[in-house]
Amino acid sequence: MSAWTVVCLAGTAALACGSALAPIGGRWRAALAIQATGIAALGVVGGAALFGAAPVGAQFRSGLSPALGIDRLSGFFVLMLAVTAVPAALHAREAMRDTPHAAAIASLGGAFCLALVGLVAARDATTFLAFWELMTLLPATIILVARHDERARRDVLAYLAITHLGGIGVWVTMLVLADHGALGGDPLQSDGLRALVVVAALLGFGTKAGVMPLHSWLPRAHPLAPAHVSALMSGVMVKLALYGLIRVLLEWAAPMPRWVGPALLGVGALSAVGGVLYALFQRELKRLLAFSSIENVGIVVLGLGAALTFESIGEPRWSAIAFAAALLHMLNHAVLKALLFLCAGSFAGAVGGLELDRLGGPLRRMPWTGGTFAIGAAGLAGLAPLSGFASEWMTLQALVHLSVHGPSGVALAAAAATAALAATAALAVLCFAKVIGLVLLGSPRRSECARARETAVSMRAPLVVLAGICVVLGLVPGLLVPTLAQLGPGEVQLARRPGLDLPGSGGLPALALAVGLVVVIGGLWRAGAARRAEPTPAWACGQRVVPALAWTSAGFTKPLRLMTQALLRPRRQVTVRSDGGVIQEVAHDAEVPHLFDSLIYEPVTAGALRGAAVVRRLQSGSLRAYLVYLLGLLLLALALVRLGLLA
Amino acid sequence: MTAATAAAGAVQLLGCVAVAPLLPGTVQHLKARLQGRPGPSPLQPYRELRRLWRKSGVAPQPRTVIYELAPATVAGTLLIAALLVPIGGHAPDWGIGHDALVLVGLLALGRFAIALAAWDTGGAFGLIGAARDLTFAVPVEAVLLLVVVVLALPSGSTDLLALSALATTAEAWSEPAHWAAALAFGIVVLAELGRQPVDNPDTHLELTMVHEGPLLEYAGRDLAYLQWAVAARHWILLVLATELFVPRPEPFLAQVATLAGALPTWCVVLAVVETTQAKMRVLRVPVLIGTGAAICLLALISWHVRGGA
Repeated sequence: MSAWTVVCLAGTAALACGSALAPIGGRWRAALAIQATGIAALGVVGGAALFGAAPVGAQFRSGLSPALGIDRLSGFFVLMLAVTAVPAALHAREAMRDTPHAAAIASLGGAFCLALVGLVAARDATTFLAFWELMTLLPATIILVARHDERARRDVLAYLAITHLGGIGVWVTMLVLADHGALGGDPLQSDGLRALVVVAALLGFGTKAGVMPLHSWLPRAHPLAPAHVSALMSGVMVKLALYGLIRVLLEWAAPMPRWVGPALLGVGALSAVGGVLYALFQRELKRLLAFSSIENVGIVVLGLGAALTFESIGEPRWSAIAFAAALLHMLNHAVLKALLFLCAGSFAGAVGGLELDRLGGPLRRMPWTGGTFAIGAAGLAGLAPLSGFASEWMTLQALVHLSVHGPSGVALAAAAATAALAATAALAVLCFAKVIGLVLLGSPRRSECARARETAVSMRAPLVVLAGICVVLGLVPGLLVPTLAQLGPGEVQLARRPGLDLPGSGGLPALALAVGLVVVIGGLWRAGAARRAEPTPAWACGQRVVPALAWTSAGFTKPLRLMTQALLRPRRQVTVRSDGGVIQEVAHDAEVPHLFDSLIYEPVTAGALRGAAVVRRLQSGSLRAYLVYLLGLLLLALALVRLGLLA
Repeated sequence: MTAATAAAGAVQLLGCVAVAPLLPGTVQHLKARLQGRPGPSPLQPYRELRRLWRKSGVAPQPRTVIYELAPATVAGTLLIAALLVPIGGHAPDWGIGHDALVLVGLLALGRFAIALAAWDTGGAFGLIGAARDLTFAVPVEAVLLLVVVVLALPSGSTDLLALSALATTAEAWSEPAHWAAALAFGIVVLAELGRQPVDNPDTHLELTMVHEGPLLEYAGRDLAYLQWAVAARHWILLVLATELFVPRPEPFLAQVATLAGALPTWCVVLAVVETTQAKMRVLRVPVLIGTGAAICLLALISWHVRGGA
């Protein structure tokens, strides 16, 4: 037994103990610390596996006996989990002090982490599917423990229903692969079977990853959970669905048919643009962040689609680069989204609700939480020199080169995807400028915001660590990228240097760029910091600046709403109450309805309910009817036997 | 480093810092002459910068450090961006590469900073302008990337040096795709510079402003930075237009001479466009820019129909 195996087992044991001990004797904070230690140990093992230590545990096998192990790709995902879950657990120790059922939530949260680790460590179909189901069910349980209102219960039901229907695809994929010995063994022989596996995997894993149009559960379920669980759901859980997809598409069912890459490009572009568009029009911070997760999953899927397409046109080097871009973006998004969800938890604790139009001002009142939130939001907006820019730049480079090198059909698809990703990046800038503006800047829009107090050091420290990781990943992405590229299909070697230096590009020396920006901006700032006049209110045409003049989320997104109204069909109602020609009151009510719900999900649900109503008539409860059914079935069976259709 | 590279570096810095204000000044002057007014001297932007540099800044309430950092950020990103753009096909290695997509990212960073400053003071006019600016940026970035795709077709590179080298010969113009890319880039230039028909740089009527809106809350050196940034944006995009599209002889001095001739020509073109075109309704702008996207896709199709020459 190697040393890494021992560390791995110890980490798992600590995580399990931390989870089991949490409900006992009110010591859940200590239990969370034990959990964090365990996850950190597992993360060390994952990092070692990623950077070239020998794989721990078993290899993939198609048999039914359970097997666990960590290879390089799994190591990457375990590392990603650790980077996200350790700060989340430490943050939760403070954030959940006044939460009812904190002990139960802490315990279930540990079990959730265990399920996530188990999924990436599963080495056979049975274990994989068991942990897959646990990964779906545990967050639902946590939400139901934390929230008791009817809306939460309905949304959890929608979450379970959609992910379980989609989960059928995962079951079909895994069982077919295991049945044909394709898990770590022989490649699939028949093309028909491969197509079946691919379609099932796209539906199954795609649902859980929140790829549009299978995403409807995600913006419902993610905002409901406590902050640290939301961080894990958005940061890690959806990525593990992509992990499954990567295993199937690039390993177990490879080589892929030619249509898969362009199909992923289409789905990825839809998710990226659609996710950020709907994120822009949300009024609640956590729901906005959930939609932004859909956007980022879309960007990752674009990278994967480019990787597969490059592979099918015989460009292994670019295929590896695109694959590395996808993995890097996953890691970036896990860190950034965890950071933003944890900050949202801190804000919720400090000021109550998270309605975007009723916040404002915490950057002055809560400089640490506010500052880290600003870094995270700028990173998610894909701004240089933070981490989001590096991975989006790589993905864009891959798409640009796909449109340059690909045959005509592929080139057009890739060019459209390039434009979509560029538009997504610009929309994300709009979205997160709005978020930072409404959440952090301006005057407080509620009395609670004006009284907000900075949180305890132990709650700020995890945020600072996550923001630091975001900055470092942005400065030296090139140190990680060659390792990630080796995980891809082609086993391509890239040069390891701090910046990104792709063939056929001008290069992204991120560190030099960041240093240049800091030096130039700092120098200009110092030179420009002359005397200022006495403080005065901002200019509002000479009016007194009153809170009613404050800009809202709807106001800032109005140009975009008008630009996209043919597509998004926003609803707007203005009621004017006038008395004797004098306007007394103007009521304004507007929303951007989620068209996927009203055009796809609601008709399907209504159809299913109607179908169920028809079928229910069969179950009349009358004994005579059941006897007739039996007789009919018997006659049918006899007839089939007589015709020779039934042996 | 050859002498040409060093000279190119000097032109990058000197041009961006010192010559840039001449460009919007010339456009304003020519526009006035075309409209039958004497108009301000082309040197007027320099006088304004000098005047602003001596004045004190303002301190609107509420504000945070973001308000104070934004002008330096906008100016700083543009200064760095100017170092990415080659001059006469040459550029020294400043250590930051010469990638077209990095340039797009830097422009986005400047937009983000000024939008945050608008949120910081909470003034409605700044926010109107910032919201429009960021909204227009959506189609602008998409078209800009498509232009990069079309231009990268022959060389397979997004390196601005490689793209600039390809444009030197008139042969590049034998491809319809190159024409289309030039047209789309022209639309992007109009939008990015805030020129008519997208935005009216002369207006100070609050409700119609796009780029000018967030500048309202600034004075003194902050405003000087922001006004210089407008000029620097002119420099970057017009130099880029020359480098990417104007065929020119190979020797470095001839290339610089071409640049010196092309910049006034672009100013004349901008002045004529501004004189003949009225400002569009805000909601028509995305349609105009979207046309650029369609043109680029047609360019891509034509490239493949012609067999990817």
